[in-house]
Amino acid sequence: MSKSNNSSSFFSGKRAAKGPNQRLIQRAFVLIMVILIVGFGAVFSRLSYLTVIKSSELQEDAVDQQLSDTTVSAKRGTIYDANGKVLAESASVWQVVMAPAYFKEDEQRVYAATELAKILNLEYEDLYEKSKQHSYYVIVKRKIESEAREQVLELINKLSKDYDCGKAVQLFDDYKRYYPYNDLASCVIGFTGSDDQGLEGIEYKYDSYLAGTPGRIITAKNALQTDMPYAYEQNVDAEDGNNIYLTIDETIQSICEKYMKQGIIENNVLNRGVCIAMDVNTGAVLAMVTVDGYDLNDPYTLNEADKAKIAALPKDERGAAESAALSAMWRNKAITDTYMPGSVFKMVTASMALEENVVSDKSSFTCTGSITVQDKTMNCHQTSGHGTQSFRDAIVNSCNPAFVNIGQLVGMNKFVEYYKGFGFADKTGIDLPGEADDAFWSSMTDVDLAVASFGQNFSITPIQMITACAAVCNGGYVLQPYVVSKITDSQGNVIKNVEKKVKRQVISNETSNKMNEYLGYNTETAGSTAGYVAGYKVAGKTGTSEKTNVKKAESVFGEDYIASFCGYAPADDPQIAMLVFFDTPSGSAYYGSQVSSPVFINIMTEVLPYLEVKTSYSEEELEYVDITAKNYVGLSVSEAETAAETDGFNVTVKGDGSTVVSQIPPVSSTLSKGGNIVLYTDSESQAETVIVPSLIGLSVSEVNNVASQYGLNVSFVGAASSGVVSTAQDIESGTEVSPGTVISVTFASSNTVND
Amino acid sequence: MAPNKRVMLRADLNRIYDEKYYSEQRIKEEKFFVRPSRQRKMKKAKWFGVGMGIDLPFCIIILVLLTIGTIMMFSASYANAYYYQDDSYYYLKRQLIFIALGVFAMGFMSFFNYNKLHKVAPILLGVSYIALLIVLILPANGGVRRWIPLGLFNIQPSEISKLAIILFFAHWCSKYYNKIQIAKYSVVPGVIIFGSTALMLFMEPHYSGIVIILILTVLMLYIGGMKTKYLAIGFCFVVGAVLILALTGGLSYAMSRLDGWGQALEYTTEDMWQTTWQTRNSLYAIGSGGVWGLGLGQSRQKYLWLPEPQNDFIFAVVVEELGLVGAAIILIIFALLIWRGITLSLRAKDKFGKLLGIGLTSQIGIQVVLNILVITDWLPNTGISLPFFSYGGSSLIMLLAQMGIVLSISRTANIERQ
Repeated sequence: MSKSNNSSSFFSGKRAAKGPNQRLIQRAFVLIMVILIVGFGAVFSRLSYLTVIKSSELQEDAVDQQLSDTTVSAKRGTIYDANGKVLAESASVWQVVMAPAYFKEDEQRVYAATELAKILNLEYEDLYEKSKQHSYYVIVKRKIESEAREQVLELINKLSKDYDCGKAVQLFDDYKRYYPYNDLASCVIGFTGSDDQGLEGIEYKYDSYLAGTPGRIITAKNALQTDMPYAYEQNVDAEDGNNIYLTIDETIQSICEKYMKQGIIENNVLNRGVCIAMDVNTGAVLAMVTVDGYDLNDPYTLNEADKAKIAALPKDERGAAESAALSAMWRNKAITDTYMPGSVFKMVTASMALEENVVSDKSSFTCTGSITVQDKTMNCHQTSGHGTQSFRDAIVNSCNPAFVNIGQLVGMNKFVEYYKGFGFADKTGIDLPGEADDAFWSSMTDVDLAVASFGQNFSITPIQMITACAAVCNGGYVLQPYVVSKITDSQGNVIKNVEKKVKRQVISNETSNKMNEYLGYNTETAGSTAGYVAGYKVAGKTGTSEKTNVKKAESVFGEDYIASFCGYAPADDPQIAMLVFFDTPSGSAYYGSQVSSPVFINIMTEVLPYLEVKTSYSEEELEYVDITAKNYVGLSVSEAETAAETDGFNVTVKGDGSTVVSQIPPVSSTLSKGGNIVLYTDSESQAETVIVPSLIGLSVSEVNNVASQYGLNVSFVGAASSGVVSTAQDIESGTEVSPGTVISVTFASSNTVND
Repeated sequence: MAPNKRVMLRADLNRIYDEKYYSEQRIKEEKFFVRPSRQRKMKKAKWFGVGMGIDLPFCIIILVLLTIGTIMMFSASYANAYYYQDDSYYYLKRQLIFIALGVFAMGFMSFFNYNKLHKVAPILLGVSYIALLIVLILPANGGVRRWIPLGLFNIQPSEISKLAIILFFAHWCSKYYNKIQIAKYSVVPGVIIFGSTALMLFMEPHYSGIVIILILTVLMLYIGGMKTKYLAIGFCFVVGAVLILALTGGLSYAMSRLDGWGQALEYTTEDMWQTTWQTRNSLYAIGSGGVWGLGLGQSRQKYLWLPEPQNDFIFAVVVEELGLVGAAIILIIFALLIWRGITLSLRAKDKFGKLLGIGLTSQIGIQVVLNILVITDWLPNTGISLPFFSYGGSSLIMLLAQMGIVLSISRTANIERQ
């Protein structure tokens, strides 16, 4: 009872409302209420709002600033050729990083800078400056090799032991791209940038496959960006990139590049050359050459000529000129540049005419040396005219007026339809970057049609031409050209297998066969000017196109030319098609038949045996067929003589011994049937030499005669048939050689040029 | 028996005290230290309420807050100490020394007869003015003059001012309790003392100090019995004064702080982003804590993201580590402290004790509320520490000494009641 009374006087305040104590008590409770309900209430509701409603948002922002994400490079996938030879590969290298914030004394800085300068071949002053920054991440050098890495590790050891600042220098994993074949297929493979990103070619196009997924190390960082002193780390492993298998065959590519480079030099080609080899039955690109290419391991170095050109420029123009020269050097001319196909295109015009049945074997065309369409006169390369000729001969003669007639027979609409059908109006869609769009007629006139019939006044890309050529010979199937055949993951599981893709059939099988027959006949009759390769049935067409799209003032000779050759083999069962073209040859010759055809022959002579294409020699050819010398050393003189004669050689024995101690030519050399083989029976006789005579300007039989007089052997390069003359020999006249040495002699046709 | 009589007795007693207490003679007769006799303690000792004569729950609440505060101060400070002082225990070691000194001061003050403070009140007010003047003479540190360096630790004159104002108005209002309704005895001294103190704080400048001094002055006068209509008038006056200051541009420093107020999370300019850095990281910490917190010692924001996490923004780290739940528990303990402090003060035998106890206890509540509103960006970032939690030598010792005064009030009340 007493309590209740007591409290009533405390709280009610009714009886003594005006008393100072009651007022004080009342006000004290008002105060408590204000502080606890209003004050603490506000505080608690604010805290609740932040920790419940805004929590995830604020936490995200907090985590954003606290976590530092370090990327771990993924190993970039390897690029292989068709046979699994490595064309591009990533190897482990390291990155040296300084965290100068860990240096406390100048002595440490001086030591670290001195040692790093020594190991990494850098300037001491620069390193010392870097070591004075207050930072935890200063890149010292990227992509150092394992040898330098060992030394840096040693330095780090030393720093932590003797100087107590081991964290100040650090090594990070990195990768470096290597291209074992240097400039081989450079414009196709492309290269990577400093961050391992693909910049050109396959490296660029397939970057997403090759790059892999970089791993991450997520660590908590304090505001100074150093690791927090407690464990808070999450690792996501890097996923290595996928491997890419190209359709390109290193062997074929090398052969092509070898002869293309030779062609560039011999003909003083000013604007690079292109060679594409394609499997006509699948569309797979077996070789794609742009010469001159560049060293993939050093893609930022221009060739000497360009360097000199740029050095001659005023200083402020050099930068722009250099980047222009670099991008020109990296261009894959086979797909990014367009050209006028010239007479090579006649195989397409002829195909459409045959398919449309507007011409036949019985058709005849008359050439007077020129033809006029709508006041525009077009000349034939044979100004005297070809007279009246069959359809087949019009192809062989590469007669422009005849093809103007053929084009007219096809008609404008059909011509455009076939033009599109063969794939000239669209990009081929090859899996390489930078394929060019071609120029197409906005509205075609009769003159356009006439000129287009023999391949002038429109531009296409080389890859379009070779694709169309494949369609001409493979039964009319327009294929999707491709350079990547397979993609596998880093464990070798196949991720993607590229299948042959037929876009459409543009001409019938019969037409295709007919074309093979005509173009085969063309090569057979025109010989080395049209890609004749001994032992193989080859079909093809030369082309020499004027670069009419180049302004006269900018051209080199007033009239610049593209010399090209497009052919395939074997003519009766086409397997490989090849386009060779040189842009602006400035040597003595500029015709496709003189410039490109020999290169085509040289390449095919090596590539066809490599592809194990069956040989089919004519009787005439069999006389000149090369045979291979076997080993006769160690046999008795008589045994050796018999064996060599059975193999088809003329045998000369030198010396007085009873057994053969050496032979010239050595084992496995190829020499023509009936060539001379010299067997030595003692060492004295080996000292004898002969002086090589000149074998140039002679026919095949004359070369054979001279060689045998001197006791030398010859091997023929080019079409060793009647009507050719020798143009070069690999061992110069006047050189002293052992008897029996094989001299390779190059033959070229002396016939009139039919472009 | 005769409960009413007892009430009457109490009322009479109160009246006697109120009327007669403040006499020089009486104070002289008072013992300097009050202590319950040994016999009484043996007989009447209770677990709660009386104890050694002091109010045990209040004492326990203080020690609990001090313990939690010290643990959290260590948790919040060790990363900062590790990076900047090369010793994770740098702040803990010092804080423990201050706590030892502070607890000693608290114990000392709990035995001190607070009635002797009647005499001290005007002196302390004078000391606070001197301190404020000294700090204005000293060279500025970073554009502000708030600290008087005293070798081992610094003294913040505004801390003295707070105590001086509570003490002075407790003294004043108990002395003129029956004239307090007259403006001359309430409004005039209030305006003079607040105005002069605020002027000097303004010159430091120390705006949050002004705010607290203002609240304390008003609070003390309100409790002391001032007419509420003067409160309303005073409120209007303050609003007007702030407006005038704002218009004359004298608030430039505060305004530069105010600029980022409420915009800590929005990026406007780089300067502003830097200005609001501390508040933003405080919000990040609080948000990261969520309901349950990241766990004791698990704060990430204390790794240099939140500048000086051991000082004013310590509660952000507390919420990050202990979550809303931990924060609520700590707030409840503070609420208990305030409740207990005010109610025990009401039991004091004299008006001076009541006013002094309420003032000192309320100051803690006000600082808690203002501090948390600052770290949650509802008030501008102006530098108000969190009692028992924030690192700081002089303020902690002073705080504990003030709690000692409250304990002394409780002890006296208990003795009288027994």
